[in-house]
Amino acid sequence: MIRVAVVDDHPALRAGLQTVLDAEPHIVFVGESDGAEENIWPMLTRVRPDVVLLDYHLPRGDGLQLCYRIKKDVPAPRVIIFTAYASPAMALPATLARADGVLAKGAGARDLFSAIRLVYAGEQLLPPISATVLEEATADLYGDDPALIGMLLDGAGEADVAQTLRIPVKDVRHSVQRILSALRIDVPAARAE
Amino acid sequence: MRTARGEHPSRRDRWSVRDAESRWLTLYVAARLAATAFAAALVTWGGLGPGDLLLLLYGPLSTAILVAFPAVRARPAAWALDSAIALACVLAYGDWRSPFYLLWLTTLALPAIAVAPRRGLWLGLGASLAFLVVAIIGGPAWGSLQVSSAETLAIHLSLPLLLVPSLAYATDALRRLDRERSERERLAIEAERQRIAWELHDSAKQRLHAAHLLVSSLHGRVADDVARSVDRAAVELESAASEMDTSLAELRSPLEGRPLDEALRSRADELAPDGRPAIAIRGRAPALSPLVAAHVYRIASEAITNALRHADATTIDVAIEAVDGHLRLHVHDDGRGLPPTRRPGASGLFAMESRAATIGGSLVVSPREGGTGTTIALDVPLNDHGGTA
Repeated sequence: MIRVAVVDDHPALRAGLQTVLDAEPHIVFVGESDGAEENIWPMLTRVRPDVVLLDYHLPRGDGLQLCYRIKKDVPAPRVIIFTAYASPAMALPATLARADGVLAKGAGARDLFSAIRLVYAGEQLLPPISATVLEEATADLYGDDPALIGMLLDGAGEADVAQTLRIPVKDVRHSVQRILSALRIDVPAARAE
Repeated sequence: MRTARGEHPSRRDRWSVRDAESRWLTLYVAARLAATAFAAALVTWGGLGPGDLLLLLYGPLSTAILVAFPAVRARPAAWALDSAIALACVLAYGDWRSPFYLLWLTTLALPAIAVAPRRGLWLGLGASLAFLVVAIIGGPAWGSLQVSSAETLAIHLSLPLLLVPSLAYATDALRRLDRERSERERLAIEAERQRIAWELHDSAKQRLHAAHLLVSSLHGRVADDVARSVDRAAVELESAASEMDTSLAELRSPLEGRPLDEALRSRADELAPDGRPAIAIRGRAPALSPLVAAHVYRIASEAITNALRHADATTIDVAIEAVDGHLRLHVHDDGRGLPPTRRPGASGLFAMESRAATIGGSLVVSPREGGTGTTIALDVPLNDHGGTA
């Protein structure tokens, strides 16, 4: 059984996902959260899911920041970023946030099931990071950030990166979080608040 | 329906401005003619001389010219000439307490409404001084004022000084008010669009995704007799979600109130910030309704993006022109041209074509004449309001 938790701010989507996931053999819906701090962490520690379906655009906070923090857990669940705006530009931040996959919300149920199974089996379902995406992203960054991104993309651990750049591991984590917010892709229709 | 929200207030605004302009012209003509009639009455009362008729003709004649030729009405040289001739009439009458004084005053109105308030003050002062000079050299006795009453002279001198700056100030205030109102309306519309867009994205679209998931999960699980309906429903839901994306994109109004050519120029700067490839945007866009402008903008930027991505073009040339009630947009590139057959799943061209069809236009994609590359030609018929019928 693959235990799946859903983090999405919209109740209709959570309910739909629950119905769909429960109907699929070998996949079970174990928990849900609207992404608010006070219920997501209790839910994750209580149900210990194998796979988390995580919305990218959460009204309070950023799906990728959340992903990065979830992945710090040991043992960390697999995380699929489930987004209404899957764009090639998301490849880089999703990789940095150590997501295991990116899936468009418009995908059908079969794609969803196969994504969950593949990610559970340990595969990475991330879009390739094209040269253009990397070029555009590094234009927004400064200092050691491009070097740090390069090392992380090469698969270096945070400890190695910290050692190479001669900074504490904590600072590497902060840098990644800062880079994630710099690379945040805004919802096309900005919230009118 | 979306566009109606964005369109009506601005159109109403434009009309009201036009109405105000024609009302103002009527008032101005009436003032000039009244001043002339007043002069005629006074001249006749004082005994009509042979030269006086000629002087009296100037009022109606000049008014007719100003009404008939808006181009003349807009020229500062014409204002100066008009004012000078009216002052000459005062001079020719041989007395500064002239019947033509009022006509001269009305000639100051055209420059007064065109200048900034501060300049209006100087203009009023200048006019006042000019009249003083005329009063000194004009008569009744050359070189001396012959002030029968100091009050009359004071009134004659202070009227332009009061009228010109206050007219200038009032026009400026009205203009500012109008600008602020349309800006406020634009912002309100913008906020409303943002709100609708957010609601669509936040709620309706998520529900569509949920419904699509639910329906598509039935695939292969239902009996054959309903399987086709279920699959069809899944396709419909998927298209609804992607159509909603399009609507959302339009609500975001890519032009942000800028004219089409300006928006395309800044898009070109975004796409090729270092000028490579060279993207030239030529021509000026006519006034367009928001929907037409948004679609044309997206067609043009899609064409530019295609030329950049798939054709490796080094120069891209975008020409916008309005001819005979049609908007024509041409995008030429010198890239490697179109593949002989359409790639399966190449939705870019299809999307451009359907955008063109949405606004009643046609899109022709062809190899560039005399060379490599591609030409995309868009033709959209426009009605009076820059929208489509």
